[in-house]
Amino acid sequence: MAIIQGFLYVLQPLHFMFLFLGVAGGIIVGAIPGLTASVGIILLLPLVYQLDASTAIVMLCGMFCGAMYGGSISAILLSIPGTPSAAATVLDGYPLSQKGEAGKAIGVATIASATGGIISTFCLIFIAPQLARFALKFGPEEYFALMIFGLTIIASVSGKSLVKGLIAGFFGLLVATVGLDPVTGYARFSFNIPNLMAGFPLLPVLIGLFAISQIFIQLEAVGEKIRHYKQKINKVLPSFKELKRLLPTIIASSFLGTFIGIIPGTGGTIASFLAYNEAKRWSKDPDSFGKGNILGVAAPEAANNSTTGGAMVPLLSLGIPGDVVTAVMLGALLLIGIKPGPFLFREHPEIVNSIFAGMLLANVLILLLGILSVRLFPQVLRTPDAILFPVILTLCFLGAFSLNNSVYDMSVALIFGVIGYIMRKNSFPIAPVVLGVILGPIAEDELGRALIIAHGDWTVLFQSPIAIFFYAISLLSLLYSLKMQFSTCCCSPKKGSWNY
Amino acid sequence: MGKKEILLSIFFIIISMTIYVLTYQFPKQTVALSPKVFPQFVSACLFILSLVLLIQGITGVKKESEQKKVKLALNNIFLLKMLTMIILAFFYTRILMIVGFVVATPPFIAGSMLLFNEKKWFLIVTVSIVATAVLYILFRIVFKIPLPRFNLF
Repeated sequence: MAIIQGFLYVLQPLHFMFLFLGVAGGIIVGAIPGLTASVGIILLLPLVYQLDASTAIVMLCGMFCGAMYGGSISAILLSIPGTPSAAATVLDGYPLSQKGEAGKAIGVATIASATGGIISTFCLIFIAPQLARFALKFGPEEYFALMIFGLTIIASVSGKSLVKGLIAGFFGLLVATVGLDPVTGYARFSFNIPNLMAGFPLLPVLIGLFAISQIFIQLEAVGEKIRHYKQKINKVLPSFKELKRLLPTIIASSFLGTFIGIIPGTGGTIASFLAYNEAKRWSKDPDSFGKGNILGVAAPEAANNSTTGGAMVPLLSLGIPGDVVTAVMLGALLLIGIKPGPFLFREHPEIVNSIFAGMLLANVLILLLGILSVRLFPQVLRTPDAILFPVILTLCFLGAFSLNNSVYDMSVALIFGVIGYIMRKNSFPIAPVVLGVILGPIAEDELGRALIIAHGDWTVLFQSPIAIFFYAISLLSLLYSLKMQFSTCCCSPKKGSWNY
Repeated sequence: MGKKEILLSIFFIIISMTIYVLTYQFPKQTVALSPKVFPQFVSACLFILSLVLLIQGITGVKKESEQKKVKLALNNIFLLKMLTMIILAFFYTRILMIVGFVVATPPFIAGSMLLFNEKKWFLIVTVSIVATAVLYILFRIVFKIPLPRFNLF
C-alpha cells in the first residue's frame, strides 16, 4: 500500500503543521465573502513556492478543501455565501440560523463537508491511477485534443454571456502567446523588451486577475454593507438519531458531488444545487426546504466538498482542470514544478501519494477544526474591510514580488488587476482568461510536438480514435453551452455576486 | 448591452487586428508549427467574437435608458478612489526596492485604509505597523523569503 508512505510523509510534524495551516487558512479565506478558494491558493502560492514540492502541494490541497468548507460559515450566519459553491447552503442554513440553530447548522455543514471530502478522496484514490494508466497511451496528438477539450470548459464557465466568455478565453490565449514560442524559441510580441521575452509571469497574472481585481470591487462596495451576525452558536453536534437520519443524504450527495466534480466544466456550485434539489425531491417533507430544513444544509455541503476529490481526478491523471479552482491549482502545480498527468503517477508516485494522504487528512482536520473552533472561525467575519483588504493588497504585491524578486512582476499584477476589474465590471468572466493563459501554451506545445513527429502533416491530428473522441466531446460540450445560453437563465447569479 | 460593449468590442477588434498584423514579422517556418499560426488563429477568433459583441452592443444601445445618469455622480467618487489606489500601488511597487519593505509598507497600508473609509487614526497607525511586522515575520522568518531591504549604496 503505497498510500501509507503518503501518510507517513504528511504525518511528519513539520508537514502536518503546513497542512494544518493550509486547512485553517482555507477555512478563514472561504468564510470571508469576497475571497474564494482560488484567491486563497493564489495568495498561498508565493509562500509555499520555496518549500519541498510535496509539502507545498499538501498545503495547497489543505487550502482548497478548507476554503470549500469555509464558505458555509458566512452562508449560514450572514446569508452571504463565502464562496460561490456555498450559495445553495444559504437557502436553509440562514433560516436555521434565524431560528437560533446556527450552531447545529454549522455542525452539520462540518460533518457533511468532511464526509463528502473523504468519500471523494477515496474515489480519487481508486479512479485517478486507472485513468492515468490509460492516459499513458496518449501521444502529442491525443494530448492536443485533450487540451482542446480542456479549453471548452471556457464555454461552461462563461456565465451569462457566451460571447463575452469566449472573448475572455481568447484574450487569455493571446496573453499566453507573448514570449518565447515553445517550438521554435522565437520571441513573439516582446518588442525587444527582455521582461516580455519570458512572457507574462503566471503568478502575477493570477494575482492580478483574481485577487487585486477583487480588492477594487470591494473598494467600490465601501460603506454599502456591514457584516454582522448576532446569532449564538451553541449545540453544534447533532444527536445520534438525527445523524442517522442525515447520513443517507450526506453519502448520496457525496457521490453525486464526486461524479459532478469529475466532469470538466462543472464545479461545486452546480453540484451543490443539484444535491439540494435531489434531497428536496426525495424528502418526505419537501415544503420545509427553504424554511430551515437541516437536510438542505447537509446535501449541498456534502456535494460541494466532494467536488474537491472529483475535480482532482482529471487534473492529476490527465492534466486538465475540472473547474476554475482546479485551473488555478494546475497553474500552482506548474509553478511549483509539478506537471500533472499520467507521467506524474509513473515518475513521482510519492507526490501523488502525498496528495491522496493530504486530502484525506485535510478533511479529517476540517471535521476537528470545524467542531472544536466553531465559535472561533466566525469571528473573522467581524474583521472590518478597511483592515482586511489593505493587508491582502500588500500580500498580493509581496506575493508577486517574491517569486522572482522583481518589480516588473508587481507591475504585471497591478496591470492585470485593473484589466480584471474592468472585465468583471463589464460582465466579462475572468475564469476563461485564466484557462486560456494556463492551457494555451500546453495546447500549442503538444500541437507543435505532434506536427514535428508527423513532419508537418496536419492530418495526424485527426487519425487517432482517442483524439477524435475528445474532439467529439469538445463539440458536444460547446453545443451544450450554446443550448444552455439560449434556454432560460433561471440560475443566473444575482447582481453583485460572484463573477469568476 | 450598450455603449460599454461597443467600446470594449472596438478595443478587442483593435487588439486582434494589431496582433494579426504583427505576426507577419515572424520568420517563416516550413516544417512543423510556425510561431505565427497559433496567434493568427487566436486573433482571428477574437476578431470574429468582438464583431459579434459589437453587433450585440449596437442593437442593445437603443434599449439603454437614461436612468443610469443618476448613478454617475457616485461612480465618479469611486473612480477617483480607484485611480488614487492604482497610483498609490504604483508608487509602492516603485519605492519598495529603494526604501525597503519595512519603510514602504506602513504608509501604503495606511493610505489604502484611508481609501477604504477608515477614519480612526489610532487604528490606522496600529494596523499598518502590526500588519507590516506580521507580514515580515511570515515571509522573512517563517518561509525564509527575501524581502526588499533599504540599501544606502
